[in-house]
Amino acid sequence: MRRLVRRLYAQARLSDPAYRFLFDEPPHGEVVAIDCETTGLDPHVDEIIAIAAIRIRDDRILTSERFQAIARTSRKSSPEAIKVHQLLDRDIEQGRPIGELVPELLRFIGPRPVVGYYTAFDKSMISKYTKAYLGIPLPNEAIDISGMYYDLRYGHDWGHLTIDLSFRKIAHDLEIPMLPQHDAFNDALMTAMMYLQLRDMARRGVRIAA
Amino acid sequence: MQAFDALAPPFDRLSHDEAERLRQHADVGYFRPGERVVTQGRTSGFLHVLLKGTVEVRNGDGLLAVLRAGDTFDARAVVHGEAGEDFIAAEETLCVLLPRDDIIALVHSNAAFGAFFYAEVSQKLDALSARPGGDIADSVLSARVRDCRHAPAVFVDGSATMGATGRAMLDAGVDAAFVRDGERIGIVTGLKLTRALVIEGRPIETHVREIARFEVVSIEAEDRLADALLTMTRHNKRGIAVKDGDRFVGLLRDIDILGRFAGNSQLMPGRIARASCVDDLASVASDIAEQVELLYRQGVRADAIAEITSDLNHRLHARIFDLLAPASFRDASCLFLMGSEGRGEQIVRTDQDNGLLLTSAAPASDLDAFRFAFTAALERCGFPACPGNIMVRNPAWSRTLDSFLEQLRQWAFAGTPEAAMNIAIFADAAPAAGDFGLLSQAKAVLVDILRGETRLLAQLATLVNLAKNPGTGLLGTMLTSLRLRHDRIDLKREGIFPIVHGTRVLALEHGALAGSTSRRIKALAEHGALDARFGQELAGALQVFTSLRLRAQLEGAYRGNDNGSALDLGALTAIERDVLRDASRVVARFRELIGLRYGLASL
Repeated sequence: MRRLVRRLYAQARLSDPAYRFLFDEPPHGEVVAIDCETTGLDPHVDEIIAIAAIRIRDDRILTSERFQAIARTSRKSSPEAIKVHQLLDRDIEQGRPIGELVPELLRFIGPRPVVGYYTAFDKSMISKYTKAYLGIPLPNEAIDISGMYYDLRYGHDWGHLTIDLSFRKIAHDLEIPMLPQHDAFNDALMTAMMYLQLRDMARRGVRIAA
Repeated sequence: MQAFDALAPPFDRLSHDEAERLRQHADVGYFRPGERVVTQGRTSGFLHVLLKGTVEVRNGDGLLAVLRAGDTFDARAVVHGEAGEDFIAAEETLCVLLPRDDIIALVHSNAAFGAFFYAEVSQKLDALSARPGGDIADSVLSARVRDCRHAPAVFVDGSATMGATGRAMLDAGVDAAFVRDGERIGIVTGLKLTRALVIEGRPIETHVREIARFEVVSIEAEDRLADALLTMTRHNKRGIAVKDGDRFVGLLRDIDILGRFAGNSQLMPGRIARASCVDDLASVASDIAEQVELLYRQGVRADAIAEITSDLNHRLHARIFDLLAPASFRDASCLFLMGSEGRGEQIVRTDQDNGLLLTSAAPASDLDAFRFAFTAALERCGFPACPGNIMVRNPAWSRTLDSFLEQLRQWAFAGTPEAAMNIAIFADAAPAAGDFGLLSQAKAVLVDILRGETRLLAQLATLVNLAKNPGTGLLGTMLTSLRLRHDRIDLKREGIFPIVHGTRVLALEHGALAGSTSRRIKALAEHGALDARFGQELAGALQVFTSLRLRAQLEGAYRGNDNGSALDLGALTAIERDVLRDASRVVARFRELIGLRYGLASL
């Protein structure tokens, strides 16, 4: 109920009617896996530098219809962030203005739920721009694979001393092939693979063994 | 994304741009355990490259193979529009999906890529056996001098004449001798002797110390062959002395080192012919066995290795026969070999399978002595006695032609499984020594006896299913558990035997018994008894199984486990598994064909 109210409120505040499609009924069985690489971890000051999104339809990851872009940022990446995403300033200079990218990304995602690893972060990064351009945060439903994994791995039992929800650990437990990490597209693809397997295991009621 | 490994077949045949375009069109599919990925007899919209998980290849209830990450399937469904089997996900599985239209377009535009999809088993095999020979040079050159076959040290006194020295060298079969002259030791070569005699015109009574060279270039027996080669090069010598401490123990020539690379097969017939006792032959026999690995690692095909090895083993048997057969029947008898040895397909020494035909009755004492001596000599040479007692020692297999023919007729009449087995064994007999005509007569009679004997041929043909486990399908004997990681198959049972035996029965019916299985297949195709194209596939499939078995045998020998017919499927590369799958399919078709032809029920 609260979500519905929030959606209606957002819809009312949407400043550009051309983006009303964000509130349409999502196509049946479709979601979009996303991953953002950023200059740092603070959504207030940091910026998106690379973004990838891959549509998933039923049990199929549509890598052939992907969205993939590098943004030209105003803020320089922190040395730590460069180590993570390995995009140097000169790569970023060849990127496109974020003002061009976000509308394209929104059209690619449409009303579909977004799937990510700690999706809240990616969503708040994207929302920072949608708030500026459209007056609303990204309204799409967010699905977080770390939460799905938690449910299947730890959800039945509170007795765990340590809980490891790292991307690497999830990939390892699901035997997902490790692609070179911290490339937005590879991360989005691995996220999509994890999502399909976790969703199937949840449907079949299969738990992930310790 | 690494949708597929552009360095692995068949994608290694794509240009960079072609591979990139294909990648752009690739999707990824998830399949839950038990889900059918490709259905037998149906087309498939995608060529699948397995990213993670396992996919079982099934034919009805039979499990044919288990595919793993990196495997590609199913070319047949994509290109020919009809999958040969069911492909079923065995666990949570992800596959790259390459669209059929792109693959078809590439098959047409890129001949090398297309060949992979259209290739018959034998052609794929060529690609497989063209792999590089590995690090043979490194391993040869790091071997010790003492482990390399070289000539023994022959000493003559400095006061010996050139003539006596020459004779001593000839007797020992060496081309250089050490000359002991008081404290010093020198060396004289055959070339030096010839030159002194012919060019310098010295008398043959010249003392050898006058022409010997007393600065001897030598190498330690403990040194590596690489050092020996270096020493030879540095001193411009084709042979150097081998020292063990301060003693000269032999001569190492460049061709000895060469022999480590190429095998010594060209020298072995000479060594067999010169052998004067069974012990000499035993040493050659072990060298014959050793060179198999050498030839294999140089990329020689398994059938060529079998041909070389069988030829040498025939000579070896013939020489043992010459050494041991008494004058009373040496020229009035025929020694013959059966089994893989008779067909010329033997690579690794197996049990004895041999027999003797006599023109007429021989003195009992001579014959008895020979029977035991011959079988024992072969055991000495590393051929274990036959557990089924099918060898010269058994009077049933060493007798006069007439009584043997009588025996053949009885077997044919009895039609029991044992009798059928005996006939099948004799069908492979090949002459090795003595009067070859005796065996030709016996085999001609065998073909005669079987002409039109459909019941007997059917009895023989049922053996094709002897090795088949009921209810588990073609290769499924070992693959009982879904998640079994180390699946093994018995190449002999599941592949080699059905092909060899099915061919043997057809060859018996058509009187085309001469030679190896692949020669029989060719002859049968010429007779019109076998479709020529299928014949090629059959011969190709046999070669797949033989090559893989040889490798398993060599690896088994390292691990000290001699059951080299069991192959670990997990240790195969994707293309090898693919080839094995095709070969298994050919065996299944051949079993069907034999079953139909001889009216066998329930194949």
